[in-house]
Amino acid sequence: MTTPLEPSPGMPGKANGRSKTMRRVSGLLAMLFALVTVGFLYSALTPTPQTAVAGEVDAASIAAGQKLYDNSCITCHGANLQGVKSRGPSLIGVGQAATYFQVATGRMPVADNGAQVPRKAPFYNEEEVAQLGAYIQATGGGPEIPQGSLQNTEALAKGAELYRLNCASCHNFTGKGGALSQGKYAPALGEATDQEIWAAMISGPQSMPKFSDAQLTPDEKIAVITYVQNAKATVDPGGYGLGGFGPVSEGFFAFLVGMGLIVSVTLWMGARA
Amino acid sequence: MSGGHDVEIPTDEELATMSREDLARLGARLDGVELVEYGEHYEAGSKADKNAERKVARWFLLSAVCAVAFVVVFIAWPWQYETAYSDNQWAYALYNPLIGLLLGLCIYAFGIGIIAFAKKIAPHELAVQQRHVGMSSEVDRVTMGAELIDVVDKMQIKRRGVLKGSLALAGGTLGVAALVPVLGGFIKNPWSKGDKSELWVTPWAPLADGSLVQMAYIDGTLVRPEDIPSGSITTVFPAVEGGAKASDAAVMLFRLRSDEVVKFRDEKHKAMRYGDLYAYSKICTHVGCPVSLYEQQTNRVLCPCHQSQFDITDGAKPVFGPASRPLPQLPLGVNAEGYLVALSDFIEPVGPGFWENKGRY
Repeated sequence: MTTPLEPSPGMPGKANGRSKTMRRVSGLLAMLFALVTVGFLYSALTPTPQTAVAGEVDAASIAAGQKLYDNSCITCHGANLQGVKSRGPSLIGVGQAATYFQVATGRMPVADNGAQVPRKAPFYNEEEVAQLGAYIQATGGGPEIPQGSLQNTEALAKGAELYRLNCASCHNFTGKGGALSQGKYAPALGEATDQEIWAAMISGPQSMPKFSDAQLTPDEKIAVITYVQNAKATVDPGGYGLGGFGPVSEGFFAFLVGMGLIVSVTLWMGARA
Repeated sequence: MSGGHDVEIPTDEELATMSREDLARLGARLDGVELVEYGEHYEAGSKADKNAERKVARWFLLSAVCAVAFVVVFIAWPWQYETAYSDNQWAYALYNPLIGLLLGLCIYAFGIGIIAFAKKIAPHELAVQQRHVGMSSEVDRVTMGAELIDVVDKMQIKRRGVLKGSLALAGGTLGVAALVPVLGGFIKNPWSKGDKSELWVTPWAPLADGSLVQMAYIDGTLVRPEDIPSGSITTVFPAVEGGAKASDAAVMLFRLRSDEVVKFRDEKHKAMRYGDLYAYSKICTHVGCPVSLYEQQTNRVLCPCHQSQFDITDGAKPVFGPASRPLPQLPLGVNAEGYLVALSDFIEPVGPGFWENKGRY
């Protein structure tokens, strides 16, 4: 009440006040710059998804595949892919596509029992995955992953529509995955390659339903893959996607930051000049 | 009413000689307010004064710059969609944040400028107002009451019958108008068409000429039973005009594995399947969300909204969550061309329950 209301020019407090504001502003700018830089660096340094392609099929690779199968898979899936009761399902008719999905994503060979077999570092290298696929395909038959590009940018919008109708209810509208019942979950699609998505759609691994070529034609499958990969590669203009879950995390952020801003501005307005 | 009694009222001559500030202080005193401190913030022309002015002006300038930048970005920035593989993706992605940021900053800076103006340029003052203790004096209270009542007396309301009548009429009709949104729903009888009323009927009902409605994918392609592999879910729609958009028509088509043990609600429902194919309404019986999270190993479908779970091998009965009725089943058949058809409409209403639904499941 009795504080001097008119600080004389040149008082130390005055000079301090000014530099404090400048410091605050430059601090904010530095923070903004750092965030944007991190965003750019992240999008620049994130590795592009590797693209493994089904290998050449010949008698040698089928034989090599059988050797691998007899070593690692036979206990649960049986000597003739017929499956073993209460251990593993029959592999007759699952084809190269299902084999590629299960082995290339590291889900098979399975490490332990649980609500769901998770993705992990693959046990077999690319060549061995191709050999196993060739053996299963030659012995049991079934769908294969087509050669060549599985993306078509022209079909992006159609892919988004099909994704929302068939996939988004479990895998979330940006492919972040989601929970199912009793510990099972629809995995996030972040690491999924074009081939893996195709194989998952055609084979229906674990809880996922199958999508035959009549339900989703090959062109429509390509459209869905295009959408998924495009959504993953899309930049976050704010620098951070907050998990891509939509209203929950975004609302929480808006509430905290917005409320904080409003409260601090209100305090400043009420403060004596 | 309070304060200001002991203020000496200056004569007209004195008033003419008083400065504007003195007049302002006098005015405050007459209202019972004492200005303990009152005056300019800074000495005119001083360094601090110029500083304060510059600080306020800076916010207004920032606001103006942002407004101009907003208009420029709004018109000139490349806003058309670019895929994630385009070199211009960043430009496109920044369009929305930029216009939001610039307009927001414009308004924000303007507001800050106004407050800074009040804090730094407007005169600083410390005002003290005395409040009387307890209730107002007897004179104040009696005269105030008399003032109010006297105004009513002078209006001579009692003898103005037409005025009173019209006022009452206006008030009454306004009240009725306010009730219309509440009571309006009772005007149209939703059950006027009896068994053909909207809530009982979906676009799956056989057409007027008796022909059965075929099943189609979302793009209109008709569905054949052999299209559907076991362990799959397909959302299908009635192949009639507007069928894919009707809110009550979406149906989930499943093929269960042939070794699955399946239970049925009753013989009527047992007859609704076609081989291993089963069709159930996609509309949750809880509050009408699209049920579509199908676990093909456990044969459960989950509703994403409130986690209701329906067991497809047990007549789509709810086994978890808030839904209390099974999903309605659609009777399946195949027509002469080999396409899947609905043999009839659902035999129970789809979607959330309603009062009139009792007894019909």
